[in-house]
Amino acid sequence: MTALLEVDNVSKRFGGFVALDGINLSVKAGERLGLIGPNGSGKSTLVNCICGTLSNETGTVCFDGATMNGLTAHERTRRGLARSFQLPRPFASLSVAENLRVPLLYTVNARSGPHLSAAEIDARTAELLSLVGLANRGSQQPRDLTQVDMRKLELARALAAEPKLLIADESMAGLSNNEVADIVALLIRLNERGITIIMIEHIMRAVMSFSQRLVVLVSGKKIADGAPDTVIRDPEVERAYLGQ
Amino acid sequence: MRTFTFALICVAVAAATFVAARLVGNDYVFFAGYVVLQYIVLATAWNILGGYTGYVNFGSAAFFALGAYATVFLHKAFPVVTTYFVDEPYALPIPVLIVIGAVISGIVGLGMGYLTLRLRGAFFAIATLALAVVLQTFITNWSYVGGSRGAYVIRPNDIEPIGPYIQYLFLLMLALAVLALVVARSIERSRLGLGFAAIRDDELAAEASGVPTLKLKLIATTISGALMGMAGAPFPYYIGYLQPTSAFALDYAVNSIAMPMIGGTTSWIGPLIGAILLGSLQQVATVTISSSVNLLIVGLLIVDCVIIAPTGILGLLQGRRTARDVVADPAVFSLLFAVNVIPIYFLHQEAFAARPLEIIFWAVLIFLAFARGRLIGLRWLVGLPIAGAALSMVPDPPRLIMALVLAICLVAGLVRRPRDPVARSTP
Repeated sequence: MTALLEVDNVSKRFGGFVALDGINLSVKAGERLGLIGPNGSGKSTLVNCICGTLSNETGTVCFDGATMNGLTAHERTRRGLARSFQLPRPFASLSVAENLRVPLLYTVNARSGPHLSAAEIDARTAELLSLVGLANRGSQQPRDLTQVDMRKLELARALAAEPKLLIADESMAGLSNNEVADIVALLIRLNERGITIIMIEHIMRAVMSFSQRLVVLVSGKKIADGAPDTVIRDPEVERAYLGQ
Repeated sequence: MRTFTFALICVAVAAATFVAARLVGNDYVFFAGYVVLQYIVLATAWNILGGYTGYVNFGSAAFFALGAYATVFLHKAFPVVTTYFVDEPYALPIPVLIVIGAVISGIVGLGMGYLTLRLRGAFFAIATLALAVVLQTFITNWSYVGGSRGAYVIRPNDIEPIGPYIQYLFLLMLALAVLALVVARSIERSRLGLGFAAIRDDELAAEASGVPTLKLKLIATTISGALMGMAGAPFPYYIGYLQPTSAFALDYAVNSIAMPMIGGTTSWIGPLIGAILLGSLQQVATVTISSSVNLLIVGLLIVDCVIIAPTGILGLLQGRRTARDVVADPAVFSLLFAVNVIPIYFLHQEAFAARPLEIIFWAVLIFLAFARGRLIGLRWLVGLPIAGAALSMVPDPPRLIMALVLAICLVAGLVRRPRDPVARSTP
């Protein structure tokens, strides 16, 4: 398998604070990767650098064989790099269905090739809503959704962009065990459809059941990368999480 | 409804307006109507950037003035040709000037957008305000277009086949208003409108969903600027004498923000409602009292609107927010009540003709008393301001009784607390 995403020596500082320090990361097509690390370790900053929300000072991000440096976030999304946000950021004045229409119209229809017709967009919206379990909520406003449903909407909106790589940034924080299991199952189903997924999560049970490979960030450095079972027994990882 | 059908309806309404205005048989209707229509264009244009995209532009006057000064410039550059045989008063017809004004203001809008759209919130608003100041200083010091002295643009008396020239200007502005509304409505329902709404709600998430935010914002500033420039282009002909202080007047900036806010910013109909309401109110105030009271009325209405109907009249009608909750707090109730008594007091000292202006503030008082009365179980409370309103309409009103009635209403509204503690929590 070839690498879909290649992060090479990416660094980012905020003033004197080094948020990311020479990160190297390679994700193969079809892989399920878990990315963990204590609070403030730079996970979200890495996602922001990969997705173009922030620009990295050094290094390159290569996606699908092309370098992403200098591309804006929406250009990266159009190339197949979608993300969900850590805190749900729905378009509050639009209905749930309209929230999904935004990526359908602006990402899927902005790509070359045949465009979706109005009817196809409606069908796709309904399909996505039932995929994440929001089937009868399309006409509701995001503020009427529960926290779980809001996170599902966040995932559905990322999925609507038909990504090759989906980055789910803490999409399960604050959810109950059953809800976590639901979302993990959903992500695994999506992966089986061929979407490469990077999951950023604090809930270890979810990470362990989901990931084929685990990467650990601590203070902006990558300290471990490998099979989940080996990684969590790594003394350095234990030290980072539990202290000495 | 298709855009074409909508445009047809707009044209029909516009035609009916024109015919109705002609039937009145007084040219003043056209002078006043022109201003209201001009505000419909300005408010709609502002709303494309401010309401749909969420970027508050304080520099509306700059775009308006650019259109107006483009006309002054062209008027001087292609002067009146008077020969023995031909009396060709104006080298360029106004529709051409309107197009030129649109192009210039659109380009400036694009440039301003490019420079400032990386700023958000208050910073963007300040930047647009700065643009207006810079442009005004520039125009004031440019003697070719009159500088600080101003420039005369003599309006012909008549034009064939319409008749009085003001009717021609009115007709042009009517056409511009139709154009602005059709543009706004079709944006709202298009892919562009969805992208604008996404930007307004969450720019980061919009970008992550593939929305090219900078490009869309530039489109918004360009369209918005161009429409404002269009509204300004015929203005020198309307006013006859243009000086920087009148073209860059505060009224344009304030009104083009206030009208969509009062009407509602999420739909094309909001600025229309706001412009008609405020615009005609100001026209009445100008005739009956003084033009400077306009801004007092606008200001107080904004205060009312921000508190009672933050999403505009449109939001109030659609019931997106229970406006009655605002009076749950006795302090809010008493302050709002007092604030709305102030204009009534001032208007009462004016001529009798100014009385109708009070109606709107009486309506707010009645609404407040009604909502508060319902909440605290004193339903008769609403009767007091109604009685006051009725008293104020008689030729020589008993002012003392009116003041007493209002004071009783205010105090009675305060003494009793809401029975339901949940209802007291203001949203």
